[in-house]
Amino acid sequence: MSTIELRQVEKKFGDLHAVKPLDLTIQDGEFIVLLGPSGCGKTTTLRMISGLETVSGGTIWLNGRNVTWLHPSERDIAFVFQFYALYPHLTAWKNIAFPLQAQGESRETVEKRVDEVVKLLQIEHVLKAHPGQLSGGDQQRVALARALVRRPAAFLMDEPLGALDADFRESMRSEIKRLHVLQHATTVYVTHDQIEAMAMGDRIVVMSEAAIQQIGTPAEVYNDPSNLFVARFIGSPGMNLITGEYADGVVQMAGLDNRYAVPQEWQSVLKKRLDSGSEIVIGFRPESAQINDRGELVGKVYASEMQGSSAVLHLTINENEIIHIRTDRLIPYPIDTLVHFDINPQMIRFFDAKTEAAFKPEVSQ
Amino acid sequence: MASFEETGPRTPVVEPTRVDKVHPRAKWGKSIRVILTVIVTFIMIIPVLVMIMTAFKSRANIVTPPPKVLFHPTLEGFLYLFTDRSVLSPSNLEAERANPGDLNYWQKLALSVGQKINGPSDYVGRLKNSVIIAGTSTVLSVILGLFAAYAFSRFKIAGKDDLLFFILSTRMLPGVVVTIPLFLLYKQLGWNDTHIGMVILYTVFNLSFSVWLLKGFIDEIPIEYEEAALVDGYTRLQAFFRIVLPQAVNGIAATTVFCLIFAWNEYAFALMLTSEKARTAPPSIATMLGSGGLEWSAIAAGSLGFLIPVAIVTFVLRDYLLRGVTFGAVRK
Amino acid sequence: MSASESEFKSPSTKVRQRHLSNSAIVNLFIWPTLLLLIMMNVFPLFYSLYLGFTNYSAIAQKAPVWVAFQNFSNILNDKNLWQYFATTGRYALMSVSLQVLVGFGLAMLVREKFKGGGILTTLILIPMMISPVVVGLFWKLMYNPTFGFFNALLGFSDPSRSPDWLASRLAGQPVPGLALFAVVIVDVWMWAPFVMLLVLSGLKAIPDYLYEAAAVDRASSWFQFWRITLPQVAPLLLIAVLFRTIEAFKSFDLVMGMTGGGPGVQTELISVDLYRIAFLGQFRTGMGSALAYIILIIIIAISNLYIKYLNQSKGEG
Repeated sequence: MSTIELRQVEKKFGDLHAVKPLDLTIQDGEFIVLLGPSGCGKTTTLRMISGLETVSGGTIWLNGRNVTWLHPSERDIAFVFQFYALYPHLTAWKNIAFPLQAQGESRETVEKRVDEVVKLLQIEHVLKAHPGQLSGGDQQRVALARALVRRPAAFLMDEPLGALDADFRESMRSEIKRLHVLQHATTVYVTHDQIEAMAMGDRIVVMSEAAIQQIGTPAEVYNDPSNLFVARFIGSPGMNLITGEYADGVVQMAGLDNRYAVPQEWQSVLKKRLDSGSEIVIGFRPESAQINDRGELVGKVYASEMQGSSAVLHLTINENEIIHIRTDRLIPYPIDTLVHFDINPQMIRFFDAKTEAAFKPEVSQ
Repeated sequence: MASFEETGPRTPVVEPTRVDKVHPRAKWGKSIRVILTVIVTFIMIIPVLVMIMTAFKSRANIVTPPPKVLFHPTLEGFLYLFTDRSVLSPSNLEAERANPGDLNYWQKLALSVGQKINGPSDYVGRLKNSVIIAGTSTVLSVILGLFAAYAFSRFKIAGKDDLLFFILSTRMLPGVVVTIPLFLLYKQLGWNDTHIGMVILYTVFNLSFSVWLLKGFIDEIPIEYEEAALVDGYTRLQAFFRIVLPQAVNGIAATTVFCLIFAWNEYAFALMLTSEKARTAPPSIATMLGSGGLEWSAIAAGSLGFLIPVAIVTFVLRDYLLRGVTFGAVRK
Repeated sequence: MSASESEFKSPSTKVRQRHLSNSAIVNLFIWPTLLLLIMMNVFPLFYSLYLGFTNYSAIAQKAPVWVAFQNFSNILNDKNLWQYFATTGRYALMSVSLQVLVGFGLAMLVREKFKGGGILTTLILIPMMISPVVVGLFWKLMYNPTFGFFNALLGFSDPSRSPDWLASRLAGQPVPGLALFAVVIVDVWMWAPFVMLLVLSGLKAIPDYLYEAAAVDRASSWFQFWRITLPQVAPLLLIAVLFRTIEAFKSFDLVMGMTGGGPGVQTELISVDLYRIAFLGQFRTGMGSALAYIILIIIIAISNLYIKYLNQSKGEG
């Protein structure tokens, strides 16, 4: 069992919070992604788990052991760095063998395990080379091999694909995921790329400004973002967000004078939580809207983008806000035309304009 | 007692460090490092402190053992350095002492060691020479070096690497190799023991250095600025003066100071190519003779005069120091 | 990474401005420098070579007389001169190795930042910026067995039983090589900080993540030093060694300030001897020139290594 538990873990630099006190439990065998923009605290959190960074408060538990103040090498973790961190004056083989040798394993064990790992990552051909002679992708594979060879309780990866070329990143993504499945290993993966996170994670921890914004499966953070930050950050493009005024089951939006009738399931919640006349934010994904001549809402075409088999239409709702709707590629929409559309009532979401938190619909009995 | 691994440090850690670095053992290591460094630095500075002290000691204090750390400071050394004096015979001494008249501080000081001031010493003139020669040659070598450095940096030049190698190699020459023929050449030209001879010599002496150093600085200025200027219609010369020069000011300042220091400190050429009129300070300091051998306090006083500008400059240029001493080869 | 390799072409504009062409600028900017260098370096070099083949004396009123290789053979057969070369070689070896050791050690001490570290580093750098002859002078004072600070600080209180460094004597007995060692100490004092600076810049260039990976792998300190630190720093150490070796062979000012070559000839470095031959006594200019050339060849050999190495490492950098 290799569960990781963070209890009220925080990190301060002077008076500044790099990571506000957070709680997180990672299950055995889970692939969990720490996702967020630069400076949000995700890397610091990962480094605290590894011991490369001290905690300013809180405790870290690995498999029921308090590892908060243990040396990084005593935590039974492996760390994969963004810039590979291979020892430059050792051959690839020696780099991979090193962690086992440092632990004093016998020669046979070392050779056997290195062999296994090399086959797994298909890097037989680079073993005699020095890291400086290898491509980025090969270097990262060697780094992964070095991490795997110890069979640690958990893998910690700090943006391992960040230094690679774009086309290469996709293939490496699937490789890493495949390795994870084969090894049944707990993995904590840090990235700022939400596409990567959505593709790889069993659960995603969305972080921003030193705090956790939401923890959930990719589907959860995509369909039910818990606040405006998550709504914007996840998805490309992010969720459409329009501010309006709520009054008696109707949201009035400025600009093109749109009036949106709140769907049945949401009416009681909103009535309870909002006074008449307070601000509210409507959210919906680009694919949740449908262009419809008799649509309830209207927008003015700002630009359109062809994306392979579909198109994304950018509409202005008022002078400040632009929304994006996914549509059929074939129909042309000249700039400044007025376009009507509907929003799928199952996919609409509402957020409090002041607290930025999402409203949750009441579960019907 | 719980171990560190169980309880962690006593106060929360609020800097970026690894866990093993806040272990008590690591903290001891750091303290030891700091102490050692302070000790070593102090040891390294002692000679300089000795020099400073010696400049303010009386002759007696310097030459009587054991060497003293506490003493009555006096400005004798400076007196010996800057003035030419004659020793008064005992009878004259009595007379002067009985009839002091209106004496300034220095004259009184001379009297107290049984001497009388005749006028400024040679050293003052030598100091002036140092200033003129070092200053002029620095200005020349920086200006010439600047132009050459710019050309080498921005243009494709046939045999550029060889030329640069040539320029660098002139610095590698032992001074003694060129001294002999230069001595003869100067004799022919009548430049022996002249300011112009020394200025030209030091200019060339520093030129190879300033070219390399400045080229390194100019290389770091992005070429895009000049390209934009050229597209806008400026000539190359205008681009050089308006765009490159302002951005190179830091590098030029650092180079100027390095050249100044090297020229100021120069001893060998000054020793061999000058004697009276154009002699600079370094050779003079080495031969300050007093009544019974080297006049240590004078030497120390003169050395102090060297030391102070150097200390200031070292502090100001500390970020450029590494480049300076390796001709721009290594950047910090 | 220099921005130097692109060839500039001014855009052709309709109005042809009267301005200096690129090649005119290059010439204008470079030739004055080159000319000066040629005049003051190349010319003297050739003249010196010529003189080496004569028996010219600068103070005699006679014109130079060609003596072919006589000067060179005199030099190469002169046991004394070989001794001076050996002395210089020993000096270079001792001084450079100690500089590297001390400098490296200092760098390892100072590498982790601590409060006041900047000031301390600056203080250590002052010695190498002072005029070497001045340094020689005040160390001469410090080494004085009667009233100098050196012996006092080392704990010797009785002058008759403490070493007289610059005279190579201890308690009345000669200790050969002591004076040379004393000069080496001063040279190390001056230049170990230089090595320290060089090594420090190399140390700072080592990315932290290498050490972090080593921490996760529980690599020993020895491994970290040998496999991570040293390889990164070795090129810079080499620069330091080559550079300081060249300078050691040229060393003149320091010794002149401290010992003038003595006691006897214990600190007679080759450049000091050259000065003596050419500028003192009989002013044997021809002989001096020949000797200067021999020294030059040695230095060129070492400098070549240095410059080739510099270019190589710049190319990779």
